[in-house]
This record gives sequence, C-alpha cells and structure tokens, in this order.
Amino acid sequence: MKNYLIQKMRYILILHLILISAVGARGQGTSVAGKVTDEKGTGLPGVTVLLKGTTNGTATDATGNYSLNVPDGNGTLTVSYIGFKTQDVPIENRSSVNITLATDTKALEEVVVVGYGTQKKSDLTGAVTSVKSEELQERPAASLTQALAGRVPGANVSVNSGRPGGRANIRIRGNTSVSVTNNPLYVIDGVILNVTDLANGSTPIDYLNPNDIASIEVLKDASATAIYGARGANGVILVTTKRGSQDGGQVNYDTYVSVGTLARKIDLLNSEEFLHVEEVAYENAEKYDPEGWAAGKYVDPRTKRTNPLLFDANGNPLYDTDWQEEATQNAITQSHQLSFTGGNAKDSYGAYLGYRNEDGLIRESWLKRYSGRFVFDSEIKSWLKVGGTLSYNDQNEKQIDPLGAGGITTMRQVLEALPIIPVKYEDGSWAGNEDYPGMEGGGNPVNVATDRLYLLRTQTMLGNLYSSIRFAEGLELRTTLGTNIINQRIDYYGGRTLNYISRNQGGDASVENQRHNSWQFENYLTYNKKISDDHSFTGLLGLSWQHVDRFSALARAQRFQDDYFQFNNLGAGANPVAPASGTSAYGLNSYFGRINYNLKEKYLLTLTGRADGSSKFGSENRYAFFPSAALAWRMSEEDFIKNIPVISNLKVRTSYGVTGNSEITAYQALAGLGNYSVIFDGARTIGVGISRLANPDLRWEKTHQVDAGLEIGLFNNRVSMEVDVYRKLTTDMLLSAPVPSSSGYTTVTRNVGSMENQGVEFALNTVNIASGDFTWSTNFNISVNKNKVKSLTGGADIFSGSTVIREGEPVGSFFGYVHLGTWSTDEADEAAKYLRLPGDIKYKDVNNDGQINDRDRVIIGKGIPDGFGSLINTFNYKNFDLTFDMQFMYGNDVLFRSMHSAEDRQGIANSFATVLNAWTPENQNTSIAQWRPIPAGYDTFNDSHRVKDADFIRGRNLLLGYTFSPGITEKLHLNRLRLYASMQNFFLLTAYEGYDPEVSTSGSPFDQGVALYDYPKPRVFMVGLNVGF
Amino acid sequence: MKITIKKGISHALVLGALVLAGSGCDDFLVEPDRSNFTLENYFTKPEHAESVVNSIYENLRSTTGGGFGGAPWMMLEFATGLANTDLGQAQNSINIRNLVNNSDNDYGSAYWTSSYRGIANANLAIAKIPEITMNESRKMQLLGEARFLRAYYYYNLVRIFGEVPLLTEPVDLNSPELYPSEASVEEIYNVIVEDLTTAEASGLPFTDETGRVSLGAVKSLLSSVYLTMAGYPLQKGADYYQKAADKAAEVIESGEYELFTSYDDLHSEAKENIEENILMVQFEPFIMPSNWQTSIIPYNKGISEYSDETGAIYANTDFVESYEPGDKRTKEKEFYYTEYSLSSDRTKTVNLGGHFIYKHFDPLAHLQTTSSGLNWTLMRYAEVLLIYAEAMNEVSGPTPEAYEAVNKIRRRAELPELGGLSQQQFREAVWREKWHELSYENKTWFDMARLRKAYNVTTGNFEDFVGHQFSYGPTLQERELLFPIPTAEIRNNDKLTQNPGY
Repeated sequence: MKNYLIQKMRYILILHLILISAVGARGQGTSVAGKVTDEKGTGLPGVTVLLKGTTNGTATDATGNYSLNVPDGNGTLTVSYIGFKTQDVPIENRSSVNITLATDTKALEEVVVVGYGTQKKSDLTGAVTSVKSEELQERPAASLTQALAGRVPGANVSVNSGRPGGRANIRIRGNTSVSVTNNPLYVIDGVILNVTDLANGSTPIDYLNPNDIASIEVLKDASATAIYGARGANGVILVTTKRGSQDGGQVNYDTYVSVGTLARKIDLLNSEEFLHVEEVAYENAEKYDPEGWAAGKYVDPRTKRTNPLLFDANGNPLYDTDWQEEATQNAITQSHQLSFTGGNAKDSYGAYLGYRNEDGLIRESWLKRYSGRFVFDSEIKSWLKVGGTLSYNDQNEKQIDPLGAGGITTMRQVLEALPIIPVKYEDGSWAGNEDYPGMEGGGNPVNVATDRLYLLRTQTMLGNLYSSIRFAEGLELRTTLGTNIINQRIDYYGGRTLNYISRNQGGDASVENQRHNSWQFENYLTYNKKISDDHSFTGLLGLSWQHVDRFSALARAQRFQDDYFQFNNLGAGANPVAPASGTSAYGLNSYFGRINYNLKEKYLLTLTGRADGSSKFGSENRYAFFPSAALAWRMSEEDFIKNIPVISNLKVRTSYGVTGNSEITAYQALAGLGNYSVIFDGARTIGVGISRLANPDLRWEKTHQVDAGLEIGLFNNRVSMEVDVYRKLTTDMLLSAPVPSSSGYTTVTRNVGSMENQGVEFALNTVNIASGDFTWSTNFNISVNKNKVKSLTGGADIFSGSTVIREGEPVGSFFGYVHLGTWSTDEADEAAKYLRLPGDIKYKDVNNDGQINDRDRVIIGKGIPDGFGSLINTFNYKNFDLTFDMQFMYGNDVLFRSMHSAEDRQGIANSFATVLNAWTPENQNTSIAQWRPIPAGYDTFNDSHRVKDADFIRGRNLLLGYTFSPGITEKLHLNRLRLYASMQNFFLLTAYEGYDPEVSTSGSPFDQGVALYDYPKPRVFMVGLNVGF
Repeated sequence: MKITIKKGISHALVLGALVLAGSGCDDFLVEPDRSNFTLENYFTKPEHAESVVNSIYENLRSTTGGGFGGAPWMMLEFATGLANTDLGQAQNSINIRNLVNNSDNDYGSAYWTSSYRGIANANLAIAKIPEITMNESRKMQLLGEARFLRAYYYYNLVRIFGEVPLLTEPVDLNSPELYPSEASVEEIYNVIVEDLTTAEASGLPFTDETGRVSLGAVKSLLSSVYLTMAGYPLQKGADYYQKAADKAAEVIESGEYELFTSYDDLHSEAKENIEENILMVQFEPFIMPSNWQTSIIPYNKGISEYSDETGAIYANTDFVESYEPGDKRTKEKEFYYTEYSLSSDRTKTVNLGGHFIYKHFDPLAHLQTTSSGLNWTLMRYAEVLLIYAEAMNEVSGPTPEAYEAVNKIRRRAELPELGGLSQQQFREAVWREKWHELSYENKTWFDMARLRKAYNVTTGNFEDFVGHQFSYGPTLQERELLFPIPTAEIRNNDKLTQNPGY
C-alpha cells in the first residue's frame, strides 16, 4: 500500500513536470501609465505594478510614476507594495490609471492563537511569538523543534545530534527546574501532548509530522502561560494544524530529496602513527612502572605483529583504514507530503498524507515515518459548529547512538577502531581491535553498527473532537474531547560476537513496550462584549479534566545459538532475564478563567487564573491557584503619537504571574516499597523492602515571572522591533533532596530549592529594500538568558550527569580539575609530592593540601550559552527567493568527554592525532602526558583541558527558490508551483575541534554541551518541489 | 431564532450535566500505585514476613563486584598495602593504595549507604513481623535472620567508620532519628552482641545449604565480634578472648564444618554453602552472576572469554614472596596465578607480569560461560580455627587445641606443624597464618585495625600500625585506623563529626 502511494505520487510529479514545459507566449498592444501614492498623496517609489495573471510588470520610479505596456485595455493591474494593501485595478481602456494605496494594518490585525482562544496580535498583553507555515517551509525539517530553531527569541533550540530525526532540546527562557522536566508544554489543536521522556532522548513532539503545522505560537511570559496554570512554567507551544479548504477542492504535493555528507572530520592517528605511539609507550613503561617492567608485564609490541592477516613478513601493517570514511555514507533523505482539502465557508475537510525516509550519515542508521491525518470542520447549524482531527503517525528508527553496555558504540569505534585493521577480511569475517593482541578489543564501527540493533518503533495517535455552541452574540461554549496515545517499542539485539556489548551474554535481546495514554475533556465559555465605543471585554471561564497513564513492559533473553533470531524470538535465548513491568497514572482537574479588557483601544488589561488539582499530591496540597495580570498601552493610538508619521506601531506591555510545573513523578507522597532480589538455593527469590521516603507535604513548583515588553513599528512597519525583558523566579523547587543515608534512604522529594532566570529578547525585522521586483528583508534576533541557582537543600551541591548544581551558579556547570599542562623535568621534586613524574599531567592543587583529589574540583565551564540568535536574510527578485539563514551562539563550552578514551589513553585503541603532541623530554610544554602503557598508570579526569570554547556561527540554511508565475501555473491548471534547492549546515565557524559544538549525548537534563561519542551533523544538500492545484 | 436558542439551551444542559457529573467525582484525584505496595498496605501475611527478610540480604551484594571504576570491596584490600592495580582510572583504589584517601571516596559511601539500607530493612522487619499472624517458630527464625544481618551490617560499619549513628527502628520524614547523632563504639557493639545472642536463640538450623543465615554463622560471627571487642578500640581484654574462643569452639566442636582438602574448592560452585563455607553472598550464573571476575585478571592480556579485562586488583609480589618456602598456597593456581592460556589460542600461555588472585577465580566463566556464579565468602571455617587459636593463646597461651587449630591450616598448605612456641611467638605465627590464609578476602585490614599491627613483608614480623611503611613507600598514620565518613553524610547531617585526620 505504501509503495503504491509512492508510485502514485511519482505519476503526479511526472505529469506536472511535463505540463511545466508547455509554457505559452504573449503579445504586444497598448500602454498604461500613472502614479501610485499613499493616502496622503505622497508618491511611492518601487511599487510593483503587474498585469494580473501574467509576469508582465514594472515598478514605480522615485516619484511614484509608472508605465506599462499591455496587450489591450481589458486587463487588471495588480499593485503591491510592502506595508500597503495590494490592490487590483481594472484598466477599463484607460491610458492613465492613478492608484492610491491604503496602509496595510494586517500585520497588526494578525490573529494569534492563545490558550483557549484567539486574539488580535495588537490586543496581546503577553509575550507571544508566532511562526507561520510559510516560514517553516523555508527550512524543511524533520521535527517541530528543529523547524522552530532560530525563529523564536527566547526559545533556545539545541539540535544536539546528527542522527536521523535529530535530537533536539528546547528551552524557553532558560531552565526552571532541577528535578522535573524543563520541556515546554505542547498543545496541538487544543490537545495537551503527553509530557514524558521517550527512548534515547526523544520526546512526544518528535513524532508529530512538521508538515502538518499551519502555525506555531510560543507563549513565554506568565500572562500568556498562566491559563495553563500548573503546566505553564516552561512556556507553552501551541500548534495549529492545517485544516480543510474554504474555497473548493485543492491538492497539494510537497516533496524534497536531500543528501547529507560528513561536514567535518576529526584528525585521528593513521597506522604508522598508531604503531609508533605504541612502541614508544612500551619503552616508557620502565619509567612509570619499574616493578611491572621488571616482572615482565610489558611486551615489546614489535614482537606481536605476526598476524599475517594484518602484517607483512616485516611486521608492517597491511591496512591503513580511515574509519570516518568507512562508517559514513551519503545520507539520502526523501520526503513526500500529499494533501487533499475541500469545502466551503461552512464545511471543510482535509486529508493529509506524509512519508519520510531518512538515511543516517552513519551507516545502518535510518528513520522512516508514515503519517496520515484527517480533519473536518462543519457549521452544522447557525449556532453549532463541530469539528475534529484524527492523526496517526508511525515512525521506525534504527539508531546507532544509544550508549549501552561496555560503553562501546559505533561512534566511539569510529574514533577508536585501529587503522591497521580492515572492515572485513577476505573470508568475509569482521575485523576487530581484538585481532591485534593487547588492545581493548571493541569491534569495528561498521560491525557494531550492523550487529548492534536498536530499533525504535513509535506509533502515535492524536485526536480531538470539538463542538462550539453560540448561545447569543458573543457568547460561546466550546467543548473539546482529546486524546493522545503513544506506543513505543524498543527492539534491541546485541550480536553474539560483539565485545563488551553482548559477547559475555552470548547475544542479548530485549523488547520493551511503553504505552502512554492521555485523554482530556474541557469545556469553556467565552463572552465577547463591546460595551461602548470605548469599552470592550472578553471573558473566559472553563473547566478541564485530564487523565494520564503509562504502562511499560520489558522482556529480555540472552545466550542465543544464532544471531538469526535477533529480538524476534526471545524464547530462543537459553537464558531469560528477569522481566519487568510498571504502571503509573494521574488525574488533573482544573478550573480556569480570563478577562481581557480594552479601553479606547489604548489600554489593555488581562487577568488570568487557573486552579489545578492533581492526584499526585496529598489531599492537603491537592489544589493550587496560578494567577497572572498584564497591562498594555498602545501608545501609537494616542493622538500625540498618531501624528508622528514615522511611527506606525508603539506598544508597551508588562505582566506578572505565577505558573507551575506539575511533571513530578506520581506517588511521591506515598511510602512506596520496592522489589529486592536475592539468590537462595540457586534460585532467584524476591524480597520487598523500603524504597521511597514519603513526603505527604509535597506541593507544586511555582515560577513567578515578571515581563516587560516594547513593540515598535516604523515606516509602515517596514522596521519592526520587539524587546522583552523578564525575570523568572522558581520557588518551592522540587529537589530530590539528600537525607542522611543512615535512614536507609538517600533522598526525599521536597519543595526546597529556588532558581532564577533573567533575560532579554530582541527581535528586529526590517525590509531593507523594496523596489519593484526586488525586496530584501532581514530578520535578526538575539536572546540572552542568565540562570542562577538561588538555593538548594542546605546549600549542598547536586551532581547531575557531568555537571554540578550549586548555589549562586548556573545549572549545567561543568565540574572538574584544573589542568595546568604537564610536569616538566625541572619540576620533578614538586611532581613527586603528588606521586607523579615529569611527563604526567599537572593538575592544580586548588586547596593546597598536597593532594589531587575530589576537593580540587571546581567549575570549569558550562554548556548552556550566554546568548544565541539568528540572522536571516531573505531576498526576492521576481520569482526567485533566496534565504540566507545563520545561527549563532556564544558563551557556551563543550565538555569533550570522548577525550577520556581517545586522548588520555594510547596504545590500546586508536587515538586523536592530538596525542602526537605528547610530552617528551624535548617537548615539555604540552597538555598531553607522555605515552605509556595504560597499566603503568595514567590520569584521566573531566578537567579543564576537556572543556572547549564552543562559540559558533553556523550557516544553517541557504535556500534558493523559484515560484512559477500565476500566468504559468494557471496554464498548467495549477495554483502553486515552486522549486527550490537548499544547503543546510553549509558552514560552521568555531574554535571547537570536535564534530559539532551544538551537542549533547547525555540523557541528563543539564548535560548540554557534553560530547561523548557524538553523532556528527551532516551538511545537507536538498532539492524540493511544491505543487498545488 | 427562538427555536435555535432553545436547542442551544438543551445542548448546554446536556453538556452542563456532563460537567456536573465530572466535577462531582472526587475519586478522580485519587490514584493508587498499582506497581508497588506502600508501607500502609503491607505486612498482612506470612509471605510478607519472608519477603521483608529477603530484602535485607540484598545489600550483602552491594560491596562485591568490579568494573572499570573498581569496586567497594577493594577498599579494604588496598588499605592493607598488599595489593596493586593496573586500572589507572580507578581513582578510588589508587587514592587508598597511596594513603591519600578522603571522604569523597565512593567505595566508602557504598559501604555506608548499602549497610544502612540493609539495616533499615532489618529494622522494618524487626518492627513489623511481630504484628503478622503466622507460625511462631518461623517468625522467630525470620526475626533471628533479621537480627543477625543487622548485626553484620553494624559490625562492618563500626569497624570501618568507628562511631556511627545507631538506628534500630524504622524512620520516616518526621522522625528525629532521620538526623541522628553518633553512638559510641561500645553502644554499637552492645546492639551487635544483643542481636547476635537473640539470633542464637531463634531456632535457626546449625547449617543452611541454601545460603541463608544459620546458627553456625551466628556463632562464627559472634566469635569474631568478641575477638574484635577484646582488641582495639574497646580493649575488653581476656574475658572477651575467652568468649571468642568459646564461640569458636562451639562451631569447631559441632563437627558441622571442615576444611576443604583442595584450595580449588574455595572457588568452586559445587562446594558453596557447605563444609568450609559458613556464610556466603549468593550468586548464580545467568540469573544473578557475580561480577568481579573481570577485575581479578590482568589488563587486556587476552586470557578470558570476557570482553573486559581490567586488572583492577592483584597481589603485591613481595607479599606473595613473604609466604614460607614451599607453602602450597603460593604455588601456581592455588591462591595466585602468574600465567594463563590465551583465549585466542588455549595452547599458548602468557606471562601476566604479576600475582593475580586465583582464590576468587572462576575458570568455567573465563574459559566458557562468561557468567560466574561464584559466591562471595563472608565467613569460612579456616577463619574460625584461626580465631580460636588466637583467642585461646591470649587466654592461656598455646594450648594443644590452639596448635591443632592452626596446624590444620598449615597441614593443608603443606607446611611443617607449629610446636614449642612461646605465647608471643605463637601469637605472631597465628597472625601470619591469618594474613596468608585469608588474604584478599576482606579480613586483613580488620585484623590490622583490631590489633593496630601491620605485617612487614620484608622481615616477616609484625610492627605497629602507626608508622608502618608499605613496601611501595607510603606510611600508615593514626587516621588510617578508620575510614572517613562519606562527605555527603557529613553534609546532610550536621550532627556527625568527621573522623580525625580526614
């Protein structure tokens, strides 16, 4: 069926390509001229005057005059200019046609989706950023989060992996929580998406087809998010999906094909260098381990180069393999999106189909997504509207990046597979590091990628039904019933021969199923009333029930006789491993309301409140109330500003409010017991004992946010600017607070911490040039956020992944030793005090106690940036459009943890070429310790040498598009035809020498910037086509 | 228009009814945990008594094992100055070995945390089992097991950390005991002795082949406790040597235990929980394998079917050389091994460049299965014999029974029997025997701290703990008589004070 659909799509594509070639001609006739002015009579230069339905057009001169040849006097002129309403003027056989253009206030009248309703953008009192589908289309992306990257000031999207589908992390105005999620709340057509972490760093939003999105609204300040009360603290992302058509049948087809290539390489040792390092290291063994040397622990590596598969008769290597070449591929991606929409102003429907097939840059990794969606909206009665959406998404992924047993992954082996081994020997068997004696014997990366299977199969369903009843003018009751179901299965198999991964287990297979269900039922009344010319208000009152449950089950078996079965027949494993399952559920019951009051179109007031009750808390603290208030003053409506022609919009607004974070694990208030297992008489026996220290007093985290914003539009909004400053203070922060472990427990969940985020967001949109056929517009935004942990339990540090959470410091701070280089021969005596020799790494003795130990660790960097933003330039010339999209980030570091095994250790696996600069008696001014066999002793820590400056500027997207003129498309019986080519990740400027400074390989929430065997990001070359008829 | 409004109202009523139906339901905000019991709904059946006692055993496993970061049990070995490592990244091992240990050491916190976890489960069992209606003699036995295990955990804690909090009842968030002060060493020993004497009278069988606590284990542990109480820090002297000797004698005279004839049986699955083995931490291949095998083989020499060969711990050569000439225990593949066949070609052997520990080695796992079921020995009969010999000698000089106890061990090692020694000579001879027999079994450091003596591998004599220099350089100081209380514990409980010198 799927193949059939693809075939069909191909036919449609071919048909239209044939049609495109049949382009018509046009004739000569009469001419028309005139002047284009604004409402005040001033001539407008650079106005486009086009004969409707053709490509025949011109632009006005400096005084606003134009002249155009037309075939006859029956046509219509289309007159368009940025900041003004486009007008169609029939020529009616006149030779002089003067046109007055009206100011386009549409930009201001733009309607924005807010929680439980919509508002005119001009009436907004909160900080809300809208992104429309046209913008999203400029950079086709695999997921919503990637599509949002760089478009929303204050939303830091980190695309942390190059794996298919990406692995993106989004933070709106910083991190607000230590123990519970920092992800925003996603609301898709009014349905709250499950808030949960899915396998290997993915979240439910990754399974939404981004092509279904009509618009995204990002709610940032408390005025905007308070209507989501206990779930609003991390910001709210409202997604409106594409609906049916209101003016007849439409078919749209969007497709692209892309190729990804390795954007940068890391310099690794080649065969000759590797063997040389090993030899010298051996010779240094006597210095670092005289006892072992004397006992014969070390063997001259030259004597073991006898394997004829790897060495010639003289002990020279036969291979010099570049594993970055062998393990990568040209990654082909194709995407096909087909939609059928129809209807009229009252009833509309749409069917959307999507297919995405993405190959990974690393061999054997891929993603396939099939999605389908049906929408309908119908005004059944003059007073009753019903509608709904049902969408289904099936996504299959083969991932190679999850860290697992033994710490061996494909990407580690790309760095550490020996250059002296091939991918396979002539007999077809895999080569591995173990083939050369004395190595830490991981398999080669192609072998690992092939034989270690990690497949994610995710099915998601998102559905909603709504009814909207109009009782009277302005009074409406809306009821929605929504559901989100996520089924995720993780199929895993590690082959029987994979060292460190599954060899000890004789093959290791598991199947894990996770099901997340949620439903919600919401009712709300909206009342719009214009009391008089000066007063109007909107009131909202609603209530909501939500229920969320989750079930997971894991089955696992080991000791397979053959790799054939993989995870498909766990019964074929001789050794079943203890199974596991678990469930949890919670309910939320909420009451919410909002009043918007508008005085003279100048003064705007919004009051919002929501009371949320949750089954997660004890009965005393079950309900909490989250209020907010906001004021805005549209100064541009004041007479004293109205008369300043330059200013087209001027608004100041401010808000304050409280929101919560309810994503605490269920049952924390109960004294839960847990499983224990012990062996008696050779059999597994189960015990039940303590597990959780109950805290019946648990409450929600609360985030207090104050925001002030300024919006300015100049020159008919050709220049528009928006600035927001904010401060978010999270109190009652939930911490897994340590308790004395003499109690048998180590932590209890408590509301004890507080954390602060302060920041500035700035966005500037300008139309730099708008003359006739050519426009150039620029979109610049920058966001600065400063995070600070205010208080923790008793001031104790909390260690989270590779970072420390410490009072007075930002979360995501890297913690470790200060690396001062290496001990020189002159410092031998000083080194000896630390039991070190010249040639060893020299660490700073921070507390001067004569020892290097944990007490000498300090904050050595941070992965979360000081600031980030985008600079997007768009050029339009006639039918061409060119987008030049750059991303920048500064103040962030990468903790390059891969250096532990690829730089600190040599001679047991391959290393970074940086080790060639190691200490020698002749080269003492270096950061890298003298080579020696690993058992002779070496130092390896998270230290300042691993912390790399990771500021960067990236060429995110360079896109050239061509939109066929209406004249051509009409002849082809199309209403839309666009071709484009783009290059993504087209340059990267950074001092960081790993694959990509925008990286995280950890599941730990604050490990942004931690790079441990990261999946490189490709440079992507893409061509695409959009067709509609 | 009127009609539409009426319809609208009727719809609104329907919806309103739905709304009210929903809001009337308070149960909506009550969700039970269906995956786990809670304290409130457990302890109702005899099975619950069994399972809560089972849970106490689990933490016996916590300090065994091994990985790329070493393992907690190695703490007690590196602190003797008799062990070496190839595992450069196991900083916890290296710091202890070089006597630059500090309270951040994860091994110490593993001992602390897992012991107290076991104690908390024991406290829960001891508090809750009496409420359960069940067979009374079984109830007594289960309480006896819980008492023994609580004593065992406290015995480790008091010897490793000195004065520590003494909790004997369950705590919750509101208990003052959540933030306890230290108890004196004497108070802790009193609870240990009380628990063990209670367990002694709880009707446990003398031996237990399934791996549960037996009466033999209770008496053996009690003899060890009394021996320690006789020495430092309590120095209760002769009375306690007598008590130690008496308890050891009860074990010896029971006739339930005997020394293995072959050292191979010390690490043989077939001989677990019987004969010489009195109490062991239980493992089972494939189901719950033990994982120190990869730690006791040299670093990446390619001798094992296991992928990982970490060389985390092996014997100092000078210690192995301090055994008497001809001692069977130092012969290849008795207690130690210095060469092994290559996994790529079992006909070839490789010199390992050191003395690796064979008494914990599982040949089957290394050669074939890569899943070891070897148990970890907590107490074996050889120790009871040596406790008896030492204690008896302290009470009344070297008696014939004391000679026999130590000579049993020497005969197995193919060494000449001891005879005609003075009390002092006999004392050191027993110590030496204990060092050599129970090496790398987490016994030696406890003896060092109890005796405040250290073994000089060069002279073969015992010298004072404080001031003793390890053969590779560092010198023991007074602070090393205890390990530091874990940093986190000090920070989370301001009633605790760190041990001196840390």
